[in-house]
Amino acid sequence: MADTALTIDGLSVDFEGFKAVNGVTMTVDEGELRVLLGANGAGKTTLMDLISGKTKSTSGRVFLHDTEITNWEEHKIARAGVGRKFQIPSVFKELTVRRNLEVASCRKPGVFANLRFGFGADAKRTVDQVLELIGLTEEQNQVAAYLSHGQTQWLELGLLITQNPKIILLDEPTAGMTQAETHKTSVIVNNLKGRHTIVVVEHDMAFVREIAERITVLHLGQVLAEGDVREIETNPKVREAYLGTKGIL
Amino acid sequence: MSSKRPIDWALYAVFVVLIMLAPLVMDSFWLNRVAKYLVYGMLGAAIALSWGYAGILNLGQGLFFGAGAYMLAMSLKLASQTSLQQGSDKPVPDFMLWNAEPGAPTELCCINKASFLWLPFQSQWFGVAMGLVLPVALAGILGTIVFRKRISGVFVSIITLALVLLVRLVVIDAQPITNGFNGLTDLGWFKVGDLEFDPYVVPTYYLVAVSLSLVLVSARLLVETRAGIILQAVRDDQNRARYLGFDVPSYQTFFFAVSAAIAGFAGMLYVIVSEFASPTFMDLTFSITMVVWAAVGGRSSILGACIGAILINVISATVSETEGFAEAWKAVIGLIFVLVVLYLPRGLGGLAHDLVDRFVVRKRGGGERALRVTSTSSQAAE
Amino acid sequence: MLEVLFIGLSLGSILLLVALGLAITYGAMGVINMAHGEMVMVGAYVTVLSGIYLHTNIFVAIPLAFIVTALLGLLIERVVVRRLYGRLLDTLLATWGIAILIQQAVRLEFGLSFFGIHIQGLGPGLQNVSVPEVLQGTFTIAGADLNRYRAFIILVTVILSLLTWFIVYRTTMGTQVRAIIRNPKMAAACGIDVTRVNALTFALGSGLAGVAGVMMSGFKTVFPDMGTPMVVDGFLVVVMGGVGSLLGSVFSAGILGEINGLVAAATNDILARAVVFGVVIAIIVLKPKGLFALKGR
Repeated sequence: MADTALTIDGLSVDFEGFKAVNGVTMTVDEGELRVLLGANGAGKTTLMDLISGKTKSTSGRVFLHDTEITNWEEHKIARAGVGRKFQIPSVFKELTVRRNLEVASCRKPGVFANLRFGFGADAKRTVDQVLELIGLTEEQNQVAAYLSHGQTQWLELGLLITQNPKIILLDEPTAGMTQAETHKTSVIVNNLKGRHTIVVVEHDMAFVREIAERITVLHLGQVLAEGDVREIETNPKVREAYLGTKGIL
Repeated sequence: MSSKRPIDWALYAVFVVLIMLAPLVMDSFWLNRVAKYLVYGMLGAAIALSWGYAGILNLGQGLFFGAGAYMLAMSLKLASQTSLQQGSDKPVPDFMLWNAEPGAPTELCCINKASFLWLPFQSQWFGVAMGLVLPVALAGILGTIVFRKRISGVFVSIITLALVLLVRLVVIDAQPITNGFNGLTDLGWFKVGDLEFDPYVVPTYYLVAVSLSLVLVSARLLVETRAGIILQAVRDDQNRARYLGFDVPSYQTFFFAVSAAIAGFAGMLYVIVSEFASPTFMDLTFSITMVVWAAVGGRSSILGACIGAILINVISATVSETEGFAEAWKAVIGLIFVLVVLYLPRGLGGLAHDLVDRFVVRKRGGGERALRVTSTSSQAAE
Repeated sequence: MLEVLFIGLSLGSILLLVALGLAITYGAMGVINMAHGEMVMVGAYVTVLSGIYLHTNIFVAIPLAFIVTALLGLLIERVVVRRLYGRLLDTLLATWGIAILIQQAVRLEFGLSFFGIHIQGLGPGLQNVSVPEVLQGTFTIAGADLNRYRAFIILVTVILSLLTWFIVYRTTMGTQVRAIIRNPKMAAACGIDVTRVNALTFALGSGLAGVAGVMMSGFKTVFPDMGTPMVVDGFLVVVMGGVGSLLGSVFSAGILGEINGLVAAATNDILARAVVFGVVIAIIVLKPKGLFALKGR
């Protein structure tokens, strides 16, 4: 049995009476790639917000390996080893692609530790590798604002890879992408498998089939089912919850 | 960007050489004027640092300028002939005597309830130290509160604006120790050893010019450090920076405080060359005018903002020589400003940048595409 | 005590008069109009000039000032502001330039002073407006002597606030304005002529400032720089109340006015203003969205 990388224990959040996430308990193993599925409003993004500290939970706990990180400040959770990609791609628009990655390569959180020039030889190597992996070597001196939508998404993935967290949370990494771009994204994500523990929120089943090992289905803020792709696709509860209404599978 | 850096530094060098040569062509009257404008240039650079690089539009920079100015002015006031000859063994500012309660002791310690605050300012270097410490402390406290609470954009601008006006009123109201509306006038000269900085002599000009050069170069170096680059990342997307693990408020507060320190330093130099400190330093108009200089010169270029400030003031002074044109010139400034915002949102610095790109970078045939986003795209994101 | 509260209420009314227009232009259009104070100033000068040349009183000046400043606002929107939507801080800078232009236009009598031509009522000097007799003196309620003109200001403020509320919440244009506040792109997609509505909104906001100027002229000296501190006060009211909330502006104007009145009665005017700034800073720090923030995800 592999080590448990992420443990979520009875996590809930209450938005003035509305429980967006309601007693979710799940564990993700070291090196695993877990897909979170669920209709709009099922609580997938909120769950990521809770793990990464964007939203403070009202009850329950989150552990990264053996460290409890429940409701820490965002940058401390990030330092503890949680990386997050947002639904709307966010990168540093006025910096070049290379600068973006250099910033991500920086290991020191505070301002005084960074009062020096250059990012060092290690960072250069990492950045070169990541540029290769996300396929933006050609564009490395371009300002990020001029990248296409797909390229921006890859750059954000690149930021995460450079940051080198223990767990990567990806919120709809293929949103708004063409088929070809989606495929390239799945190649990048598959490349990360085994090196990082990854949790992905995704709607695109074609993409899910390309990358998924285990799937957790959320429904109305609770865990509805968990299993591999085939199990989920044949699970009667999942069929009842989705096929009848939305038919996302 | 790397291929443009030598050109950037060359521009800095040209600028420094030019201001160093100015005394060759100017009489002492103009030299004193230009020294003031160089101080304004330093303010422009301070604005560019916080606005262009940190994304913090401070509409109350006058607070830090004023703080620096008052701190040194207090020391220089005590060093003036009038303060020294009040018949006490310690100097006493004249305005305190004029306003003293009948029968009050004519001593600095106790001529009025708060006059003891002036005691340490008998040392000029205490005033100089406070001229930096006070702005930095104010900015540090304000920045910590505001940025930890994740207040951003226009709300920071409004808070800084309200704060400078608040402090201005407090200074005016604390008349017994600040001389209220009139400010501190009739100051002594700044002294280093035996050297006295008479505002109309060449050494005083060089004090300002060398200070400005040092500030410009240090500020420029500072934004090229890792911290400076991360700061720009924070400006572009606070959240992204946060989720990469950076302690975002510490960056914002640090650079906000550096900008405040530069403004405070500028305030002290201004007192040395103009021989007064007054609550007008904390007027709304002055704080916004600084932003105007920076915007015309280029908000994202430290040197550009500095040159913008100097240029506008030199032209103003030249035009105002002609009787009656001073007011018309103000209108022209208003017009220029509207036009710059509309057609040149990155100011003269941005224009220069584009020209350099066009004629120099391309000629070299470097494969690097030097692209810069107009600042409007980042504004739109707010 | 009643007198102090009454003075506070009238101070709050003046704040609200200035803030109403800003609440609309800033709240609805995302424009920080630094020339708003100059609209107040122009309104005051309309009163001065109409008194001199038309021999009319302050009552006539109200509609006149509204029309003049609304048209001026329309012009500014067309020529400058329109190009700057979505660039909040740039609108602040550009309208600051416009503010200087308007001030200098009045001070230089539209440039005519260069040719030795002077227009009575303009120029750099101070102007005064005499108030009709009905509004002079005081009246007594519950043993307190209350200033008639202050009561008139409160009355006008109440009427204008209700009118603004009506326009924003009970007319088609108001519905469109509120749609634009929430989501300009969606509003445009729904077929709202955002450009036209924005222009009219800006004109309305400017017109309200003009009326505020008429009211100012009755108890303050009129001069070219008079608008600058007002625009600051107006913004503080709007931000403290919560951007986009008319009710918030009403409340914060009332609160700030009373604080100003009470502190001024206890100490002096300078400290009173300082306390007002302090309160606003504290509230923005504690509740950056303002007292009455728009709810939404």
